[in-house]
Amino acid sequence: MTSTYNINKNLAQMLKGGVIMDVTNVEEAVIAEKAGAVAVMALEKIPSDMRKSGQVCRMSDPKMIKDIMNAVSIPVMAKVRIGHLIEAQLLESLGIDYIDESEVLTPADRTYHIDKTHYKVPFVCGAKDLGEALRRINEGAAMLRTKGEAGTGDISEAVKHIRQIKGEIDLILANKTDTKFLTDKAIEYRIPVKLLEDLIEKNGKFPVVNFAAGGVATPADAALCMKLGMEGVFVGSGIFRSSNPEKLAKAIVNATTHYDDPAKVLEYSTDLGEMMPGVSVSGLQLQDRLSTRGW
Amino acid sequence: MTNHKVVGVLALQGGVVEHLSHFKRAVESSPEQYGPFQLEFIEVKTSDQLHRCNALVIPGGESTAISLIAERTGLLAHLYEFVADESKVIWGTCAGLILLAKQVENAKRDQKILGGMDIKVIRNAFGRQLDSFESNLDFSSFIPNLKDFPTIFIRAPIVDQILNENPRLNENLTHPPVPMAKLTDGITVRSENPYSNSSPVEILHRLENGFIVAVKQGNKLGTSFHPELSENFLFHKWFLDTFVLAD
Repeated sequence: MTSTYNINKNLAQMLKGGVIMDVTNVEEAVIAEKAGAVAVMALEKIPSDMRKSGQVCRMSDPKMIKDIMNAVSIPVMAKVRIGHLIEAQLLESLGIDYIDESEVLTPADRTYHIDKTHYKVPFVCGAKDLGEALRRINEGAAMLRTKGEAGTGDISEAVKHIRQIKGEIDLILANKTDTKFLTDKAIEYRIPVKLLEDLIEKNGKFPVVNFAAGGVATPADAALCMKLGMEGVFVGSGIFRSSNPEKLAKAIVNATTHYDDPAKVLEYSTDLGEMMPGVSVSGLQLQDRLSTRGW
Repeated sequence: MTNHKVVGVLALQGGVVEHLSHFKRAVESSPEQYGPFQLEFIEVKTSDQLHRCNALVIPGGESTAISLIAERTGLLAHLYEFVADESKVIWGTCAGLILLAKQVENAKRDQKILGGMDIKVIRNAFGRQLDSFESNLDFSSFIPNLKDFPTIFIRAPIVDQILNENPRLNENLTHPPVPMAKLTDGITVRSENPYSNSSPVEILHRLENGFIVAVKQGNKLGTSFHPELSENFLFHKWFLDTFVLAD
């Protein structure tokens, strides 16, 4: 692997145990940084509003992204549409710290994701199963996240993706000496078999960090994802759609660090005001589910 | 039980497991050398865990996040005490170097630092994330035979100034202008810890352009870079041998 890729996957290691927050303006970005976020995701509309709008959602205006980059000292991420390599070039020119090739925006390419090996900037990508995760790694993603179901405040889809990927990794490990099984899986996943061999060599651990995303709304949600083996969390609509964003943001950061200590998570979960109202994933039609985007 | 040593890695946020696994690999590499010792490597999230430690590593991560979490979860006061106890060993990498300093430039107003070393550090000194880089460095002047060590600098800080009274030390400290990602509201933050390190600062390594990236003061060590992200565990072995098991 190239030196750039090596640096990129290592710099994502520095985000571990941390919380990355969606912010739509400088004020929110400052609240996120003060709460102890390890990075912010700059976007014009949070996923729950995009979901309601029914409109085409694109990369945010570079001006608002730049304003946020100037306002905080932590890394700034921004989203591009799946397969939109020009939007990615624009963000790279802007000097963004990470690009999220995101299913939350309306996809630009219905067949291909961006070839991320052509960029110096690190990419984070969503995955709902092992095939997607390994395809994104093969394309050069420096960081993974579950897709979950963004903008719902319903954690069930993220949990499903965590469990799905873990189950599929276990299956690979259980069949690690079966060459035919691995070859067939590689074909099914559309990846070189080498990626499965690497996964086996690392005892099921990805070469990049994997965060939970999509539906994290409370300190307990964040702690649940950490307990299930995630290395950090993204919080989208949850924080700034609650009645006390500042307090909730801090509480989610604290709970992510102390996820294994119920007494502490209890303390952080207490008296936070109204959470985001949310929508249940089971009530969504399949075509309305953002997690089905990506190939 | 003096042969029993507990080495903790502060696990509030950041690259924790890499440090732990490098220490374990170092110990496994020389069973004869480490046989007489009972070495324990633990994650540190609480004051109880911290109090068990003879040595503490403060890992890379986001220095703002680590300090805010430490403050809010009540660990900061204990870290101040730990730093002030000169029988304890501390090593800070990257964000950890920022946390060990007495002064930080280009910092955030509510960021707290532990004040263990008489140094002024510039945060994000090399610029933004895209300016992160990898370089093979020659550490053989302080670690025997370690000549081609792969080091990664990620939004790294540098040591800009030595703050103790010896003016001779600062004479040669000129370095080119720092291409830092300057914050619009970046300020210089000073540690609130009253502790003053009783040993002199030693510069262990400078880059070719003069940037200071490794320093030692008494039994405290600070590095701008991430030895834990290299495949090589010899830097960690040196830390164990010269700091943790020194006496």
